[in-house]
This record gives sequence, C-alpha cells and structure tokens, in this order.
Amino acid sequence: MKQLAVTGLHKAFGSHPVLTGVDLDVPAGSFTAILGPSGSGKTTLLRLLAGFDQADAGTISLGDRVVDRPGLHLPPERRQLGYVPQEGALFPHLTITANVGFGLRGKDRRGPRVAELLESVGLAGLGGRYPHQLSGGQQQRVALARALAIQPEVVLLDEPFASLDAHMRASVRADVQQICKAAGTTAILVTHDQDEALSMADSIAVLRDGKIVQYAAPQEIYTRPADPDLARFVGDANLLDGLIADVSAGTRPAGPAAGTGASEQPAAVDTILGRLPVEPAAAAGLLPGPVTVLIRPEQLELGPLGGPTDEPGCLAGRVVACEYYGHDAVVRVQPDGGAAGQQIIVRTTGGPQLPPGSAVSVRARGAVLAWTRS
Amino acid sequence: MTTAPATAPARSAAPAIVTVPARKPRRPAGLLAISLLVAALLAVPLVFLLIESGRAGYATVASQVFRSLTATLLWNTVRLTVAVTAACAVIGTGAAWLVERTDLPGRRLWAVLLVIPLAIPDFVVSFGWASLFTWMQGFRGAFIVMTLAVYPLVYLPVAASLRSADPGQEEVARSLGVGRVATFVRITLGQARGAILGGCLLVALVLLAEFGAFEMLSYQTFTTEIFTNLGLPTEVPAACALSLILVAISLVVLAGEGLLRGGGRVARSGPMTPRITLPLRLGAGRVPALLGVLVLIGLALGVPIGASIYWIFQGGVPSVSDSVSVSMADAAWHTALYGAGAAALDTLLALPVAVLAIRHSGKARHFLERSTYLVLAMPGVVIALALTYFSEQYLSGAGYQTAPLLVLCYTIMFFPLALVGVKAAIARAPADLDDVARSLGHRKLAAFGRITLRLAAPGLVAAFCLVFLEVVTELTATLILVPTGVQTLATQFWQYQSSLSYAQAAPFALVMIAVAAVPTIVLGRFFDRTRQAQG
Repeated sequence: MKQLAVTGLHKAFGSHPVLTGVDLDVPAGSFTAILGPSGSGKTTLLRLLAGFDQADAGTISLGDRVVDRPGLHLPPERRQLGYVPQEGALFPHLTITANVGFGLRGKDRRGPRVAELLESVGLAGLGGRYPHQLSGGQQQRVALARALAIQPEVVLLDEPFASLDAHMRASVRADVQQICKAAGTTAILVTHDQDEALSMADSIAVLRDGKIVQYAAPQEIYTRPADPDLARFVGDANLLDGLIADVSAGTRPAGPAAGTGASEQPAAVDTILGRLPVEPAAAAGLLPGPVTVLIRPEQLELGPLGGPTDEPGCLAGRVVACEYYGHDAVVRVQPDGGAAGQQIIVRTTGGPQLPPGSAVSVRARGAVLAWTRS
Repeated sequence: MTTAPATAPARSAAPAIVTVPARKPRRPAGLLAISLLVAALLAVPLVFLLIESGRAGYATVASQVFRSLTATLLWNTVRLTVAVTAACAVIGTGAAWLVERTDLPGRRLWAVLLVIPLAIPDFVVSFGWASLFTWMQGFRGAFIVMTLAVYPLVYLPVAASLRSADPGQEEVARSLGVGRVATFVRITLGQARGAILGGCLLVALVLLAEFGAFEMLSYQTFTTEIFTNLGLPTEVPAACALSLILVAISLVVLAGEGLLRGGGRVARSGPMTPRITLPLRLGAGRVPALLGVLVLIGLALGVPIGASIYWIFQGGVPSVSDSVSVSMADAAWHTALYGAGAAALDTLLALPVAVLAIRHSGKARHFLERSTYLVLAMPGVVIALALTYFSEQYLSGAGYQTAPLLVLCYTIMFFPLALVGVKAAIARAPADLDDVARSLGHRKLAAFGRITLRLAAPGLVAAFCLVFLEVVTELTATLILVPTGVQTLATQFWQYQSSLSYAQAAPFALVMIAVAAVPTIVLGRFFDRTRQAQG
C-alpha cells in the first residue's frame, strides 16, 4: 500500500528551478532515504512534503488524502506528519516533557503517553530537564519522540544525524531506525551521506538536479547505479574506458560468476584490466563501441608481488598510497605506463602493508557494469 | 587509458557538510503590507516637510537658506559635532579598553558606573554644570557638557565588541614581534572599528538633535533656531528650510558612517569557546589610568547628581513643598503613560518589520527595512514640527498638543531603536522551531505566539524599556507637543530651571536620573548577554 505518493512535483525560487518533476511512491511502513548532494533540492522536497512551502506544480498524497495540488495546499498543521529537523530543534524554553507533549491536546500533554514516548526512546526519567542539559544524541531522540507523539503515519527526518559526532551517529541511527520500525511509522530520511542511506534505508531515492534519478533498494543502487555519476556518488568507484568486444568472441577471462546460466552469448568489454564480462542484466542496452566501465574497489584484488604480470587481465603498477582503516585498506595504484593521476583504487582486507612505490599487480573479479558513452 | 578515477567522499570524508538551503518561503503578503504601512507612517514627517517647503516655493526657501545666519548655525553645529564626536571616540574607546583589557583595579565597578551617564538627560548634565559654574557657556560649555553626557554611546558598543573579540589575536601579534602600542593600534582598534564608528554615528546624531542643553548654555545650533522659529507662524518657511538643512547634514553623517564602515568586518576563526586570557598589566600606568577613570566618572556622574542634591539642600531645610510633590506625581504619571504608550506601539510596529527582515530575505524587503532608519536623520524637533504643521494643514489644528499626537511623535522618533532590539530578539528564535510547531498541529499564528514570541520575549521587553527610557528623557518634541495643561517630568523640570527655580527643578532631575538609570543597567546586561549568546 502506498503511504506517500508524489507526482510531477515542480518548485522554483524565482527563476531558479529546484525541483523539476519529482515522482516518488513510498510504501507504508518502509524506511526510505532521499539521497542527494548539497543543492540537489532534497530539503526543498522535504519542506514541500511537510507543507512549509507550496509546490508550483504536481501533487502530493498522503494515504488517500491529496494534500497538495494546484489550487489546494493543506497547511502543515493539518497534515499530521512527524518532522525531525536538523539538530533536533527542540524548543529551548520548554522542558523535555513539554517538548514531547507539544503536539498533544490538554491533559495528554503531561499524561502517561509522554512518559511512554520518552521510555520508547530510552530517556525515561529525563522529562524534567531542559534541552541544553541533554547531549546531542539525546536531543535527537527527544525530537523523534516529539514527532511520534502525534501518531503520524509518516515521519520526515531532515539530516538528523549530521550534527552528531561519528561515534554517536552509528548508535543513534540504529535507535532511530528501530524506534520507527517499532512504531510502524513510514520514515523518510533526507541525507547527503551515502553510508547513512545505504545502511539505514529499505530503499533509496537519489535526487539530482531536481529529479529522482534512481529509486531502488540499497544493494541495487550500489551495484547497479543508473549512470557513472551516480556510481561515483554512492561509493568509491573506478570508472575506466572500455570497448565492447565482439560478443561472439568465445574467450573469457577468469571470473567464474560471469555469465553463468545465461542462455545468450554474454557481452564482454576490453579494458586495461583485460577482457571483462558485463553483467548480463546490464548488457541489454549496450551498443558496440566505447563504453565507461564501473569497477568497485572491492572487485579488484592485488596479485602476488613479483608474480607474473604479463598474463591477460593482470595490470602491473606501483602503489601510490595506502589508507589503512583497520577493517580494510584502500590502495591507490598507478598503472605502469599510464598517465600520472590516472590511478586505480583497490580495497583489500588484510594483506601486508604496502609502502609507496611497491610493485603490484591488479586483477578484476566478477562481472562489471558498462554504459555506452555518448 | 583510464578515465579519471574519481572517488566519492566515502568514509574518508566523514565530517558531514551541513547544507544550509537557501530558504525563500512564499511571499509573505500580509507581513509585507503591514511593513509597508509602518514605513509609510515613518515617512510622513519627511514627506510633509518636502511638501511644505515646496508650497513655500524655491525663492522663499532659498532666501532663508542663503543668509548669514545659516552660515553661523552651520559653523556652530558642525564644529561642535566634530569636536564632541572626536572627544567621545577617544574617551569612550580608551575607557572601554582600560576596563575590558587591562588589570585596572575595580574595573567591574567602573564598568557599571561608566555607563550610567547615558541615563542622565543631556539637559540635566548641562543644568548641573551651568547652575554651578557661570563660565560654562557657549562652545566651551557645550563641548564639555555634551562630551560628558554622550561618551557612553561609544563606550558601550566598544566595550561589548572588545569583550566578544578574540584576545588571542593580540597575543599572536605580540608573539610576532609587534609592540604593545602597535598591537593596540593594529589589532585592538581594528577589532573595535565597527563599534567605534557606530558609537560615533549615534553621538553625531544626538548632537544634531540636541536642544535643551544648548538652550541652557546659550549655544546656537540649527535645532535651537528651529525651535525658536516655531512659535512664530510667519516663520514656517524658515523652520522648514532649516529643518531640510539639518536633515541633509544628518543624512551626510549616516552615509559617511556607512562608507567608512565599508567591508571591514571583524571575523573570528575557530569555535566560540570562551577563553581565559590574562588582562594586560598596566604596571606603572595603573595610577594615572585609575585617576583618569575616576575623574571621568566624577565629572560625568558626580557633578550633575551633586549639583541636584546641592540645590535641594540650598534652601536650608530639605522640605519638599506640597505643590512640588503634587506636580511631581502628576508629571511622573503622564510621563509613564506616554512612555508606555509609545514603547508598546513601537514594539508592536517593529515586530512585522523585524520578522520580515530576519526571516524573509530579499532586496526589496531589505530596502524597506533600511528605509525606516531614515528616521534617524530626523531630529525630534523636525518630527514634532512636521506633525504640528500636518495637524494644522490637514486636521485644522485638531490633534495639536494632544496625547495621541505626542505619542505618535515619540513612536516615529524611537522606532529605529525599537527595531534594533526587536530584530535581535527575533534572531534568537530560529524559524525552524515554528515549522516544527506547525508540523505538530499548531496554526501559523499560534506557533508564532507559543514559540517565537515566547523566545523573543526578553528582547521585546528590552526594546520596550529602551523606548520608554528615551521618552522619559525626551525634552524637545515634548515641549512642542505636550497637551495643554499637562506637564511631564522633563517639561516641569524645564519650566522650573528656566525661571531659575533650581531648588524646585533639582528633585525632577534626580527622579529622571533614577527612573532612567535602572533600565540602563538592565539593558546593558541584556545586550551583553545577547552578544555573548550570539557570539
């Protein structure tokens, strides 16, 4: 069942278009992220959903109610949407209890409902305090409890974790996700942080230049991005030049996963890493000729040091830098003979420390994505 | 053969970039309409002045402007304004630096005492001096009295800016081998530049508008001359012509301050954590510095208060006669009434303009807000004169010397003051909070009332007090427009001292000082806190 439906939404400020036809259906009970870089219009979209601004064109429906269409604008107080703004925006002159109860009527403001809400966000007993007496993470939880108090069907989260430090962010994210699920509320999270979107959301709508360019599950967004820019936006990416090989050529390089079970002859692409199989599902629209190839750093592996580097599919190079993260490491490799700056990123787990200048070989695993270049 | 292997800012770029969206909500039509009305109201005196001058005709106005009296008035007005402004800049900045940045003994106490002269009306300061020393006359008298009366207008903003500026910059300068004096000139003065200029602007505008003190000291300026011409119906063109010149000078001052200020902004890098830095050690300079501050306080505060007390006891028994106490109660009641009326009206009218200015950016709206500051260039005597002629021309004299017209005059005069305070107050309440309240089911006005107004309340009270305080100590416009048969504290004081009844005038002087001093101290603390809260 659709909880929120947006069709053809347009919004411009003066002569500057911000949203240019947004379409989005959000199923009930889901946790959806709207991901976009700064200036992509995501905050504008959120403000239109909440009713703080009015769209120029298009419709917004909540459940079976149309709340925004040309000639109709339901004010925010009648939409019953929970709204959690950046940095929480608690009312500084009110206690935590009064903050959480702000949207309730009469006696409910101090009643058991407020206590329940505070308990649900793990802050039982802090109702008498004032916002400045709480930590940033606690303030975020209060802001969520305040939004949930009016029992909204949809909760809008506007970059709520941006102001928290990295350590706190992970735990507050998990809590918020769990609280929304427990309350059965549809949540819409606006963020520019792809890690946050990938780790929290059931599905991600990527907003770019005022349009949704892809709307899919996180795995799909990461492994099958709609275009090279998007690939780069949602994670580290090697974007290589390639040439679609003659599909009838039978020779296939190593890569057991490629093309298994495909009835047709799988497409392959020639790159500096040799001839690589193209994901069958992505091969359909490809024209013969030059393409851009996406290889995620974790699809690459470093070959044995000093091993044979002249076999097909093996690229020789030198380590430029190695960023060590504990759980893994990112190695930047300058291919031998390539122009300076054209580096390949490889993500490795374990393995020896590689000082800059070490000679290595790089090899690709599995099938890759490719887009015909225009 | 590889294309640029760009990487998205993945985990390596963890510190999130907080996006600040350009928020331009829908056209706030209602706010805009109300603000336009307010701006129109404030423009009435200036527009009327122009109409009246136009009616008199160019030849008449020109004959008034180009005569030897004008040159004398111009010379008197300009030289006094320049001299006092310069003196106030030096004294105000010096005192602020001593109190805020050095180990001057007792500086917490001096910080309070140095501000209080602001609460003493200028005509009371001149009363104190002129009643005791007969040689306090003319330019010399006006220079001394006005400098002592208005230097806090520079002291206050400079002290506040020195307090909020980063003393670390001075330490860095010293570590780079720059000497103590050079550091003061290159760093400290630079930090306080905007505050000094702002203070000087206020000083100059006060001097252009001053009437009571100059009248008492027999010093002739544009304002005193306009006032003299007022009583004579035949002199309307003269008064209009002089008013136009006065407004022109004020505009030059306003524009000059804007130009000088230019792009000089005091930036502060790094987080706003309060730093504890040791104050500069004065060493052997402590004694002269302390003496200087004490002399300043003694002259500015001691003489007016001392003179008032002296005159009360002059009659031998300090017995306040019944007639004085009755007239005092009556005058205090009317003063409070007019003050509260104008203060309430100003705070109310400033609210929509402030909300528009703070929450809805835009060139036209910015211009609208700035236009209200034009009132600053209109001395009280000019506004009162314009309203007088307005009531004569269009209301056949109705309203002239009635309470509503007087309150309206105060409201126009002190609107810019109220606007500054209300804007600061509204800025303390983020618009985001109203949005949240609306999403929780509150209507627009209810959300504004429960959140923004509630958060802005202390600042609104401060703005109210500021206007009230100004009304209590206002003399010029009050003398012109006060309802027949009614006295305020200022006019009653003026009447007594004009007839040389110093013993009767003195209690009124003390009451005005007392009434004004308390809000001054409270306001000083409020703006201090605001500054610290905002950084």
